[in-house]
Amino acid sequence: MAEYLDRSSDIGKLVAMPDDDMIICRCEEITKGEIRKAIHDGMWTMTEIKRYTRAGMGLCQGQTCSRIIKGMIAKELGVLPLSIDDNTARVPVRPVEVRVYGKGIN
Amino acid sequence: MSNQCADVVIAGGGVMGNATAYYLRKKGCSVIVLEEEMLGNGGSSRNGGGVRQSGRDNRELPLAIYGIGNIWPHLSEELGVDIEYHQAGNIKFAKDERGVEFYKKVVEQNLKKGLELRMLNQAETREICPLVSDEIIASCYCPSDGHANALMTTLAFYKRARELGARFITGEKVLSVKLHKGRAKGVITSRGNVYEGDKIIITAGYESRAILNSVHIDVPMRRKLIEVIIIEMQPKIFPMMITIPDYDGGGYGHQTDHGSFVFGGHIPLENYLRPEEKEVTQLITTASNCNQLVSYFPYFKDAKVIRSWSGWTDLCQDEVPVIGNIDEVPGLLTACGFTGHGFGISPAVAACLSELAVDKEPSVDISGLSYSRFIM
Amino acid sequence: MIRYDVIVIGAGPAGLSASIEAAEAGMKVAVFDENTRPGGQLFKQIHKFFGAKEHKAKIRGFRIGEELLAEAEKLQVDVHLNAAVIGIHDFNSIAVVENEQVSFYKAGNLIIATGASENMVPFDGWTLPGVIGAGAAQTMMNLHGVLPGKKVLMVGSGNVGLVVGYQLLQAGVEIAAIIDAAPKIGGYGVHASKVARTGVPFLLSHTILKAEGEEFVTGAAVVEVDSKFQPIKGTEKHFDVDTICMAVGLSPMSQLLRIAGCEMKEMGGLVPACNEYGETSISGIFAAGDVAGIEEASSAMVGGRIAGAASALRDGFIMQGDFEEKYKALKESLNQLRQGMFCKENRGKTDMTATEEGIPLSNSLLEKGYLLEKEIIKFPGVKKKAGVHPIIECTQNIPCNPCQTACKFNCISIGENITALPVVIEDSKCTNCGMCVASCSGQAIFLLNEDSEDGFVSITLPYEFLPYPKKGVKGIALDRSGNRVCEAEIIGLRTAEAFDHTALLTMKVPSEFAMSARFFTL
Repeated sequence: MAEYLDRSSDIGKLVAMPDDDMIICRCEEITKGEIRKAIHDGMWTMTEIKRYTRAGMGLCQGQTCSRIIKGMIAKELGVLPLSIDDNTARVPVRPVEVRVYGKGIN
Repeated sequence: MSNQCADVVIAGGGVMGNATAYYLRKKGCSVIVLEEEMLGNGGSSRNGGGVRQSGRDNRELPLAIYGIGNIWPHLSEELGVDIEYHQAGNIKFAKDERGVEFYKKVVEQNLKKGLELRMLNQAETREICPLVSDEIIASCYCPSDGHANALMTTLAFYKRARELGARFITGEKVLSVKLHKGRAKGVITSRGNVYEGDKIIITAGYESRAILNSVHIDVPMRRKLIEVIIIEMQPKIFPMMITIPDYDGGGYGHQTDHGSFVFGGHIPLENYLRPEEKEVTQLITTASNCNQLVSYFPYFKDAKVIRSWSGWTDLCQDEVPVIGNIDEVPGLLTACGFTGHGFGISPAVAACLSELAVDKEPSVDISGLSYSRFIM
Repeated sequence: MIRYDVIVIGAGPAGLSASIEAAEAGMKVAVFDENTRPGGQLFKQIHKFFGAKEHKAKIRGFRIGEELLAEAEKLQVDVHLNAAVIGIHDFNSIAVVENEQVSFYKAGNLIIATGASENMVPFDGWTLPGVIGAGAAQTMMNLHGVLPGKKVLMVGSGNVGLVVGYQLLQAGVEIAAIIDAAPKIGGYGVHASKVARTGVPFLLSHTILKAEGEEFVTGAAVVEVDSKFQPIKGTEKHFDVDTICMAVGLSPMSQLLRIAGCEMKEMGGLVPACNEYGETSISGIFAAGDVAGIEEASSAMVGGRIAGAASALRDGFIMQGDFEEKYKALKESLNQLRQGMFCKENRGKTDMTATEEGIPLSNSLLEKGYLLEKEIIKFPGVKKKAGVHPIIECTQNIPCNPCQTACKFNCISIGENITALPVVIEDSKCTNCGMCVASCSGQAIFLLNEDSEDGFVSITLPYEFLPYPKKGVKGIALDRSGNRVCEAEIIGLRTAEAFDHTALLTMKVPSEFAMSARFFTL
């Protein structure tokens, strides 16, 4: 079961930051500002952020940006990054051509 | 242990629960939504995103018609998030005469219901869906069907409901319904917390069964795993939802606005998974889905699969959901057992639930979906 | 579907070691790796390793890789290369992409040794071409023979930053500076020293502000930070560089473990919760190496062996008693590697003011990368003696002892405790063989002869740059900080197979620079 989170807790207003246009998820080109907005829209887990913004949903499945996004959620919520679950790892962990995959059961 | 109250307490933060919370807030009701995992963890974010009227049972068709006519077209605007709804049609393919005959009947049945469905020959099929395999000899097309982004829709309802003041708590697993003088008056969670409300709505997918069991209500349903593959971003291929008939292995899919392609199929072992099975993809399913996709769309053979996922559907005994008041227990409502086709009707279901929760007549006649149909 | 007794995922130091241990027990073993070459990171580790002999100390990493691979092949381990494991499914079955198709395999035991990937910190311009991981730079240089750039700013002063920084210098790249947001150097002092003496500046308490450039990196802006890591206005500095190397830590590549459903915990990245044998919450699935918690290659090899032995025990290939004996020895070896100033318990400690021997620890080393002359003479490896004698500028308690065994004449002693500082024995006789100089993985040993010629001394130093300066060449001697101290003449250059590519360069400098001249440049 997930950690108890009351999504109505006050995390303050979303304040624009000068580096909001900086890209965080390189695969999907999602910026810091988009992710911060998602957090203030109520997306407090890695998976919700992934589904809402596509950050971490690209070819590398968030190998690089997950850590950064965790830090951002932690900062906005005022919690430790340790308390934030990673998003789900998914098969295939490396992209595979449809025809190559299909040969698995021919 | 803490006690918290609202007009309505909802168990399950999927698209049904979130959308119901949204409509209830619009009516001015106070709402608490309790979710065991994260928001949209279940079938809400694990479905093909289809929004269709065609092929629906007469009991649930009115919900589809109401949603497509009244809610979906302006939902993005209403929620302030692009939920990628496109009324771009649904095309079902036939590879042989058997398929043609099968679909002719489907057209006939749906025409009777007043839906615009037609058969397309090979040339017509290729005209609207040029990349389809040469093996496809005909198709059945319903232009008023469509698709939306299920992940965004689920979270958009949550986001808007939260903005309007609905209270969402995640990491709260509802175990049972609490009664007061025979009426449903609250729920008890695994943390020992009690949440009280005048109306209790259970929208927790398959897990609804166990919660309802606590007040001796049993919806006859079981779980079935579905699996989907995601193909890397492509240029715009075709706008409509595609369907592969069940007799040929089944399958469904569409392209998202982002360009990735979502394709779900049936898995060879779906009916025989161990009961303790986790929600994980099976060894051979992705390969099976890949072959199925390529056999209908050779175009995809060199594209890459970047992800797969699986999810439980809650199959109801008669393949339509249970929606509405549970008369045996006043104050208790549910919406569950969607049998894999709940997403498309979710906004309409939620609108009706919100009306029932304030003791109003629902906008759509859902009497045929009542729990009472299972009572001898 | 082929079934193996053990399937190892990842042919790095942990994976190969696990496969060897399992195969030695008679198990049918396969190793899968997505790379073209086995060895994981070992094949780009051109530096000599620390540790004791059993940890393959003073052997260069890529040679360790070759040794492990040969051993695995001798034991008939099936090594599948270019074979990416893309999924783990029920009952230890896996999906692998190889030879343009997906294949399925099954195993009694799965040992997951998938290693780690580099962390990134985002800053203005971090997505520009030219901002790369330090590990990526090392791969480009040492595996593919491609220079990552001509002038580099290194961000991060841990061992990765220091080692890769040194290797960039060896490849002929200029390093503008090594910066770190922390107030102290993160890696081994000996690694820092060998970089510092070439003249590379360390900027501690500095963070990167911006990668400059439109299409690619043309420069970098850095700024000093306060004790709360907040930038101090007005301290901005600019560097003209074409490459920014990020050495800011590693994260375990734990996706497969997560897919398998292993219980995970947060430990500087998500790692599986394992028992002392590396077995995860799922019986028959083990984790070894960096994926089980970031350490280094030496401990990964031991961890791999433990997991291999435990899987052999689990399926009845070895007896409980044999396993326990093996485990005891391996655990001891692991404990050795986990001792000293850089062990887990001491990580991030800034209040270590003395060595285990009680010698005051210099701030200069930790803040600038080098020691001052007046500090170095306090160490037990630095003694004034007649004739040729070693000067051991090894100043931290790290688990390493090749110098002790290198000297066949018992001039150097570390003793039982592997993290103790080397001591130069008072009444010993140095023969000027140079084995200690070449065997010190930290390049911290020099030979000093103060009796060579009136008014001059000769200093022999480890030298790993090409081309070697020829005998008779005159140049400049540099001190520990890379500053020019005096003119120097090369009077000797020794290379030998036993030195393993560490040349011994002997330079003649005026006597007053005997304890300051430590590097040579033209």
